Amino acid sequence: MTIPAWLCIPFAGLLLCVAIMPLVKAELWEAKKQYFVIFWSLLTVILFTSVFSFSSAVETVLECIFNDYLTFIVLLFGLYCVSGNITFTGDLAGSPAVNVALLGIGTILSSLIGTTGSSMLMVRPVIKMNSWRDKRSHIMIFFIFLVSNIGGCLTPMGDPPLLMGFMRGVPFYWSLSLLPVLLFNMVVLLIIFYQIDKKAYRRDIAAGRKPDISKPGTELKIEGGHNVIFLITIVAAVILSGMLPSMKAFQNTDGSARGIPVFGEVVFPWASVIEVVIILISAWLSFKTTPQEIRRKNHFTWGAIEEVAILFIGIFITMQPALMLLKEVGPKLGLNYPWQMFWATGLLSSFLDNTPTYLVFLTTAGTLGFGTGIATSLGIIPVSLLTAISCGAVFMGANSYIGNAPNFMVKAMSDENGIRMPSFFGYLVWSFGILVPVFLLDTLVFFIR
Amino acid sequence: MAGKEEMNHSETSTLQSFAERVYNLDEKVYKILGSGLGRVYNFDRPLAIRHIIEKMTIPEDEHIIRAEIALIGNMARTIEDHDARREVMEEYDKVIKQFHEESISYNLNVLNEDKERLNELFANNMKERFKDGSHLIICISRTFGSAGNNIGLNIADKLHINYYDSEIFKAVIKRMEAEKDQLEDEGGFEDEDPELINRRMMEKLPCSDAAAPVFEDEKRSLRSKIRKLNRYHGLPTRDALFFNTADLILDLAKKQDFVVMGRCAGHILTNNGIPHISIFINAPFETRVRRMMEVDHVDYKTAKANLRRVDTKHADYYNYYTGKKWGEFNNYDLFINSASYGIEGSADFILNMIKSSMQ
Repeated sequence: MTIPAWLCIPFAGLLLCVAIMPLVKAELWEAKKQYFVIFWSLLTVILFTSVFSFSSAVETVLECIFNDYLTFIVLLFGLYCVSGNITFTGDLAGSPAVNVALLGIGTILSSLIGTTGSSMLMVRPVIKMNSWRDKRSHIMIFFIFLVSNIGGCLTPMGDPPLLMGFMRGVPFYWSLSLLPVLLFNMVVLLIIFYQIDKKAYRRDIAAGRKPDISKPGTELKIEGGHNVIFLITIVAAVILSGMLPSMKAFQNTDGSARGIPVFGEVVFPWASVIEVVIILISAWLSFKTTPQEIRRKNHFTWGAIEEVAILFIGIFITMQPALMLLKEVGPKLGLNYPWQMFWATGLLSSFLDNTPTYLVFLTTAGTLGFGTGIATSLGIIPVSLLTAISCGAVFMGANSYIGNAPNFMVKAMSDENGIRMPSFFGYLVWSFGILVPVFLLDTLVFFIR
Repeated sequence: MAGKEEMNHSETSTLQSFAERVYNLDEKVYKILGSGLGRVYNFDRPLAIRHIIEKMTIPEDEHIIRAEIALIGNMARTIEDHDARREVMEEYDKVIKQFHEESISYNLNVLNEDKERLNELFANNMKERFKDGSHLIICISRTFGSAGNNIGLNIADKLHINYYDSEIFKAVIKRMEAEKDQLEDEGGFEDEDPELINRRMMEKLPCSDAAAPVFEDEKRSLRSKIRKLNRYHGLPTRDALFFNTADLILDLAKKQDFVVMGRCAGHILTNNGIPHISIFINAPFETRVRRMMEVDHVDYKTAKANLRRVDTKHADYYNYYTGKKWGEFNNYDLFINSASYGIEGSADFILNMIKSSMQ
């Protein structure tokens, strides 16, 4: 049955709430946002029931909770807890050069431990080093651009869409071929960042801001360093959950995933159970083995993760009709060229979950019947198309606060630490003003041949 | 009239107490949290209070303070201890309430009558400026060849107060444990006058370190780059030097009266709400060239080139660190043409001006 477009109204409604409510009724939104989420989620279920059936609606919701949301939020929770137990103390001052270096390191780290892991690990040091400054929201915005999104393109560990690609037969090391695209974007964005930061830095100095550099020499100390082990364990759990479903022991005879039955055909796959358990144990051990003083220094609170958990369960549920519509319409869009794939995957990834978006267009590309390219379980996909889909899905998650999970986390943590982050629309101005022109350059350089 | 003044004074003090309240709330939240990641007002108290008052007095900037109070609220909500959080949030609510009252009452008054009164909040006259027995600090900026250094020293002599020029650079070097020959005193001048150098030597005052300016070695090894990164906290060398200079000037300002030459001292003190007198000494270009020809025993062309080079460097330094324009009259209390009065005459003129304005 065709999915009517009006089923997407709750998703649009929730997005509008996320965008507008903090501007017009900040305190109400702050205190009651869970009720808005419940309202739009229930409306999705009601509308879905009116088109299909109640059981189908419940199945869809449970499917998204157990197969997408739970692993998503547990991963975020684990990384949030573990990184909150690592603190960098020292008096390195956030200057434009230091910030460029931090963003550069974070970007590369994203491909090694994932955009979420890298964001959670790097966000506090970046906030801390720039705590002496007044104008610093642009630093966090570029942090979201580079560390929370673009940096994740080099390996399947970097970003979930690439892990999905790997699970469907894209070679593990293939994404390393995206290095020139990553370097190009990094260089362009870091040059733009440096110029913006230099101006802001000078304005801060002129306004009398100065870092505490009274002691000669810089002291840099990492406390809670042992938590890196837990961080690596979590990253390993994510990779494991990507690999286990292809093993016979984790499949039923019909090839579907084995797991704990939840409702109807919905199961909570064993691979996900294992991932969740490993992550939760790591987070628990991290808390048990780290003194509370470190969390205090890190201003560790539950506020940021709570906010993301509340908003994203609503986003995940209300997004389902839009994803189903995309699955239906995507292959019929007649997209054959890399630049089309790059923008279609990217623009949809800006507001929808980039993993299913990536899969829709990967599947579409696999069905186009190309004879040469990368052999995947979905068919042969030309390198140029795969590059465009991968880059679109990974890069353009930076276009909005909800484009990728760490984006909102970074915003929430910045808000909690005295940084005035732009509103939803304010952020769009930044991303459309800076990222879109860079992506147009990408299109010219890499995707129009 | 008296009633109006009384109202103005009471409004100013209400605004001041509101600003202090906001700052105190931020400080309290930050202390309770024990966070190492910074706070909303991450700068000195006087500067922060001044910032709040200034923004509150400009209707279109008022939203900045609202957003900043909201940020304090964000932090306050993360306090784990229930009682402490409740206490802080009660204070937060009061601050928010007062914010609305202040902004409304203030804006009405501004629209009604005296915007100019607000400008007097900080820019009051000399007598007012030093009424609390603050130290007498005279900041002198000067163009090259205008004999500004001689005039500054002359004033310090007559007032029996300390004179700081290159001494600041030396102290900063010591404080930073830096190697002198790797740095350049960009905030200072080459001593222009051999007579002045001799006199300072006689008085056992150090000569200018910038007499032979040494630029940083451009070709540095990775090791030396890391050492530099470590020494200057990741900051560009000249910025680290400036920040230390600012700290030193602020320290001195707490302890004594003095004359300080250049180094954006006036701007640093203004930013920190420390009373001072800011003077710019200039002379016609041709007069300065002729003077430097005599002092340095160089031809016209060389003197002219030197003058342009040093002035440009000074302007760049000042403009970079203050965001203002070097030599623009708005930035100084007194602009003086030293060629009209001579060294002694200029010093006397400045002293008379200071004495009369303080009476």
